[in-house]
Amino acid sequence: MIYVVDSLNAHEFSDLLIEMHQLRARVFSDRLGWEVEVKNGMERDAFDDLNPAHVISVDETGRVVGCMRLLPTTGPHMLSDVFSCLLDDEPPIRSARVWEATRFCVDTNLPGRGVARNSISYVTSEVMIGAFEYGIAAGISDAVAVIDPVMNRVMMRSGNAPYGYLGSPHPMGKVTALAALMDCSEERIARIRDFAGIRHDVFKEFVPEAVQ
Amino acid sequence: MEIIDLGTVPSSSENYLTFIDQMCDTLELDFASYATVNPVTGVVHGYANYPDSWKMHYMNRNLHRVDPTLHKASLSIAPVDWQRFERDQKFQSVFKAAGDFGITPQGLTVPIRGPYGDRGLLNVTRSCSVEEWDKLKRHIMGNLQTAAVHLHDSVMRTNGLVSALGYSALSTREKEVLQWTAAGKLQQEIGDILSISHRTVEIHLRSAREKLGALTTVQAVGRAIGMGLIHPR
Repeated sequence: MIYVVDSLNAHEFSDLLIEMHQLRARVFSDRLGWEVEVKNGMERDAFDDLNPAHVISVDETGRVVGCMRLLPTTGPHMLSDVFSCLLDDEPPIRSARVWEATRFCVDTNLPGRGVARNSISYVTSEVMIGAFEYGIAAGISDAVAVIDPVMNRVMMRSGNAPYGYLGSPHPMGKVTALAALMDCSEERIARIRDFAGIRHDVFKEFVPEAVQ
Repeated sequence: MEIIDLGTVPSSSENYLTFIDQMCDTLELDFASYATVNPVTGVVHGYANYPDSWKMHYMNRNLHRVDPTLHKASLSIAPVDWQRFERDQKFQSVFKAAGDFGITPQGLTVPIRGPYGDRGLLNVTRSCSVEEWDKLKRHIMGNLQTAAVHLHDSVMRTNGLVSALGYSALSTREKEVLQWTAAGKLQQEIGDILSISHRTVEIHLRSAREKLGALTTVQAVGRAIGMGLIHPR
């Protein structure tokens, strides 16, 4: 299930936010080797203080298994600042209808293969569906996402291939990072849903059909 | 969107109000207001087409100090429907009298963030059934976002800190796409020339328009030529 947590409702979801920062520490510091600041097992940066929205995937036991951070490209965001190398030091795109997605990650202790519930590609798809549906309701047409090649491959395989890239891939920690463009559209959401077999409202608790 | 391009007219309160009126007409809204606080001087710049009686009521009671549509909405990255404030005491206290002035508590706030940490808020209202409201929102949200940033950028360029800084810099790609557009090429053709998808061309064009404070591509091309960013052949 997906929760969108921003500075308006953060007080209701403080436990989820702690777990999300812990997941980000495990992925971006431990696994990908990015130079990010980890304190008390939590990865946080200056952009977390700019009232972003977090799209958080929680499994049926209540564990945080995936997340993504969204910021408008009209204001300060990562590509306009710390990730400008990805854009070959060119100015970033700026549009009222484009959001930036960063710190997109999924718990890699999940099963790696297949699209069963709680697999990596299931959670990846769920986070994407949540972010795109939230975006469409907000009038957003496109997203630019900072991702690594593994995430890029997962997306290519799951009906969610980027339609383009900005700048060029750049080494970051143990991997490279790239800025991928995705349309925030019903068509893309339908493709991801088809691939992952997700038919239910991702913002509501999943009830298996057998008990419905 | 068939509304005045604030980049083409001298900036003045009158033009901001005309923009707000035309936006309401085009997007089928009753009323709209825009507000921003200069982060250095603390001066509030606001424009609204609400009835004068409501404006007086609102100002005399200093409702802006408690109004959650101003204080809370700026914490969101997405437009905030006022349904979210239904159980908020402060929202109730601001809007309980609104009906007497012909103002509906059905509305939303579009928060706007500028590149220098500047923020603005566009509030809009529409009196209709909840079903109609939900349908209207889906229909206009994209245009509302574009209009909100256009208005904010225009106000900031004339009144705010940004005035000295001017327009956001265009990337090489954005200039290339504008240059080819000026040469009469279509998006698909430009995509072929630059070996990028036509949607990527569209994103660069949209970004270039917004950075140049233009609502249309023609206007953006004109401004880019005027600023010497691209060169007609």
